[in-house]
Amino acid sequence: MNLNLTKLTNIFFVTLFILFSYFTAGFCQDDIYLSLSGSNASRSGIGLADFVPVNGTFEEMETAKDFRDVLENDLILSRHFNVATANTSYKFDMKSHFSYWAQKNVSVILTGEVSVVELTKLIITVKMYDVDSRQLIWEDKYNNTTVNYRIVAHQISDEIVKRFTGEVGIATSKIAFSNNNTKYKEIYVIDYDGYNLRRITKDNGINILPKWVPHTNQIIYTTYLYNNPDLFLVDITKNKRKALSTIQGLNAPTSFAPNGKTMVATLSRGNFPNLYLLDSNGVVLRRLTEGKYIDTSPSFSPSGKEITFISDRAGYPQVYIMDIDGVNLRRLTSKGPCDTPVWSPKGDKIVFTMKADRFYDIFIYDLPKAKLFRLTEAQGNNESPVWSADGRFIAFSSTRSGKSEIYIMGVDGSGIRKLADIPGSSFTPAWSN
Amino acid sequence: MKNLSVIMLLALCLCIGACAKKQTTNPDGTLGGDDAFSSQGEPISIDDIRFTDEPSLRNSATDKRAGLATIYFDYDSNSITEEAKEILKENAKYLKNNANLKLVVEGHCDERGTSEYNLSLGQRRALKVKEYYVQLGILPSRIATISYGEEKPEDKRSNESAWAKNRRAETKVIVK
Repeated sequence: MNLNLTKLTNIFFVTLFILFSYFTAGFCQDDIYLSLSGSNASRSGIGLADFVPVNGTFEEMETAKDFRDVLENDLILSRHFNVATANTSYKFDMKSHFSYWAQKNVSVILTGEVSVVELTKLIITVKMYDVDSRQLIWEDKYNNTTVNYRIVAHQISDEIVKRFTGEVGIATSKIAFSNNNTKYKEIYVIDYDGYNLRRITKDNGINILPKWVPHTNQIIYTTYLYNNPDLFLVDITKNKRKALSTIQGLNAPTSFAPNGKTMVATLSRGNFPNLYLLDSNGVVLRRLTEGKYIDTSPSFSPSGKEITFISDRAGYPQVYIMDIDGVNLRRLTSKGPCDTPVWSPKGDKIVFTMKADRFYDIFIYDLPKAKLFRLTEAQGNNESPVWSADGRFIAFSSTRSGKSEIYIMGVDGSGIRKLADIPGSSFTPAWSN
Repeated sequence: MKNLSVIMLLALCLCIGACAKKQTTNPDGTLGGDDAFSSQGEPISIDDIRFTDEPSLRNSATDKRAGLATIYFDYDSNSITEEAKEILKENAKYLKNNANLKLVVEGHCDERGTSEYNLSLGQRRALKVKEYYVQLGILPSRIATISYGEEKPEDKRSNESAWAKNRRAETKVIVK
């Protein structure tokens, strides 16, 4: 993906600067939630024009349209942009299109070409024009050998997000979860937009609590395959798995250090479940907590220096923070039962579930402000929250429909969408980065 | 007489604790060296026994027996109720009369709370029952523990009576 720097206009730089200033300012000041909720005024306008089928075959026309639909959905779901589309009668025309799109209040136009060669090879050229200067500001070519236009659309969306905001996009991310539709519990993976559902385990047994190994296609999970809750690792592209930690007793919920070299797991070893530091091959390096209470649900801070976890040492499960060498223990919550704390990618927040009234709801603890924010209310049990890689969204399970399903919402609790209609009940999402 | 048996039990525990410390591998042979897990010179009491000599459940099968009844717990609790203690005493009689049997205590939870926490809660319930069996004179090396968390409910409905049935510990016999 080569950036054609010579064609970047001053105006694009200015747009970038303004956007960057806005997000930076928003982060430092008290209106972080406003900025992340993305009020319409702050969003950039993108005009999404048609992608032209180069050879004009039926398959190309269909692919071009489907590809554009996926890209449009990605850009909308990113909540960075206002996406405008043309009227159905609109035909791309070099002479008039800049003034046409200017009326739609967009700063850039996205268009391009789609060709399908020999029914297998997909080539998509994407072009971005600046409306004011009428200059081509970005052009790139994407190849795919399996005509997987969804992947290409996700890649282009992430690239656009990166160019506009400097942040990572999440359109290529996946969500792993467990589901009981087979009457057992099996691990599944689905794209972040609710498409491309795949079953990963086929044991007809209990397979639960999937977690991603950072920046890989690997998932760790707890399985009862050999009649003991063991920790297994599965590579979802190679479809291969191996045992990671099979110590007698509980080998459960795990968090990988951001560098992927160590992990914290809950082991019982015939005793009370405590936290241990393991290397990435499952070898125990040292014990982190001790005592006759439950210590579980660990999650690394992005610095890798601290973990947050659950302990019921106070008499009921509460959220704690501790240095990774096992010292400097601090309690964050004072109500509840609380559960499944997860540290945000930027390190400033911890999301968790807490039983507030009759039901469990999602809360965020803001560390710099030492304040609690509530995200869900009066909609069944809302549990197992996890962050998107950009820290702007939270996936969680909710029983609001009458069964447990996976939902995604903004970090301020707005814009809740169901991930997909999936048979059975779904639990414990894990979001890839 | 009762005092004597308590003293003998404690002596036994000390012996087991000492033996466990000397072990360099675990029952399932997954780790060499046990240094990271040895107790930090604390006095050994019944609560502190490290049950690292549990029989392995790996690749084994388990069986329910008529002489072994299930006990039930209060919400989010691992305390053994007086009623449950009477049941466990009856179970212990059966286990003493069948001294060659190895057994597993399965800890289960209701669906409330997350599956992560419930896995640990189920483990602690199983452990509490094992402790009580040991206090009743069953050798700890005969008793395995396993937690199924909320994954194996007895009653799949979502109401108080179902939850009460699901918060339980089952004692089963390990059969090869």
